[in-house]
Amino acid sequence: MMANTIVETESPEEFIEEIEKAQNCLPKKIDANPETVEKGLAKLVLTLIELIRKLLEKQAMRRVEAGSLSDEQIENVGETLMKLENKMKELKEIFGLKDKELNLNLGPLGDLM
Amino acid sequence: MKLYIYGIIDSSNQITESTYGLEGSNIYNIPFCNIGAVVSQISQPIQDVTEGAVLKHEAVVEKLMADFTVLPVRFQTLIEGRDNLLSMMRSYYRDFKNNLERLRDKFEFGIKVIWPADKIKENIIKTLNKEQQKKLELGSSPSNKFMKDKFDKYKIDKEFEAKADKFIKVMDIFFSKFAAEKRIEKLKTENLLLDAVYLVEKDKESNFREAVEHIKTARYDFKYLFSGPWPAYNFVILSKKSGLLTDSQQTSLLNKVTQDQMLVGVDSI
Repeated sequence: MMANTIVETESPEEFIEEIEKAQNCLPKKIDANPETVEKGLAKLVLTLIELIRKLLEKQAMRRVEAGSLSDEQIENVGETLMKLENKMKELKEIFGLKDKELNLNLGPLGDLM
Repeated sequence: MKLYIYGIIDSSNQITESTYGLEGSNIYNIPFCNIGAVVSQISQPIQDVTEGAVLKHEAVVEKLMADFTVLPVRFQTLIEGRDNLLSMMRSYYRDFKNNLERLRDKFEFGIKVIWPADKIKENIIKTLNKEQQKKLELGSSPSNKFMKDKFDKYKIDKEFEAKADKFIKVMDIFFSKFAAEKRIEKLKTENLLLDAVYLVEKDKESNFREAVEHIKTARYDFKYLFSGPWPAYNFVILSKKSGLLTDSQQTSLLNKVTQDQMLVGVDSI
């Protein structure tokens, strides 16, 4: 390092832990070699479904907050989102994927989720 | 002959001082018009990222910074032969010149802030519990219960983000006063409130450091990591992509080198 370059912190371990956490949850590429192609593709597809599911959920919450849904509509939306979430849980179990694995690093655009 | 690239500099002159790079080879400047690529010869691509190799790369780049404006090149960047290098230089010349002019006499500083996310969330939950009118009143069916739980979580997350935005805005006001450019990332993890890099002119370095010290005294329950001056890894902007440089050649030019920085930083703490 340059003579006057410094790294100052009173909590180095905590910063190392957080930086590692931020990096480890983000695979840079989909792992699609012959042995793991099925899981690699499932991961890509489920990541996209999870993104759409989260967007739907967020949109629903915004509408609930704005008071633009009737009680009946809230119940219907709730049932749909609940079933979708349960189905995602099943699929994640089948392919042995964890929540934190369903993300993609889009380089300069940042993380997908 | 493989050439390992350390950086692009605003000079076509030879480097007079002996400096050794990876594999102990002498570094030298390959000129193109009025700029140059600083390289050393290397026998084989660097497969493993070792602390020693990263530090050596960083040391060369920072040594160059003392005499030139440098566009730091990503660790492990190789190019096959002088002709390919010159071709790449021709292809990127305008971009390199623009960046060298923009980054002249400026350094990069990094700031990371950890906040007590658990405590912040606890306080948000307490406040929201007090504000009963904002709670969702629904029936007791499973789907209603699901929606109620989701809505409560949504409110907490929204408030959590709003608080993060507020803190970051205040900090950024202080830092931006003395910075030419910035890159800010919010909540990379729940605890890592801010991960930012600022581009600071040489003559504003002490003002910038003072601003950091001032912010540190504002919240004692936050934790801070300040680093720099670094080469401007995060502020090189290329407008074009060159077909010359492919992954298979192990060449990925001028991308963000956070890993280098992290390793160097960790070593220095």
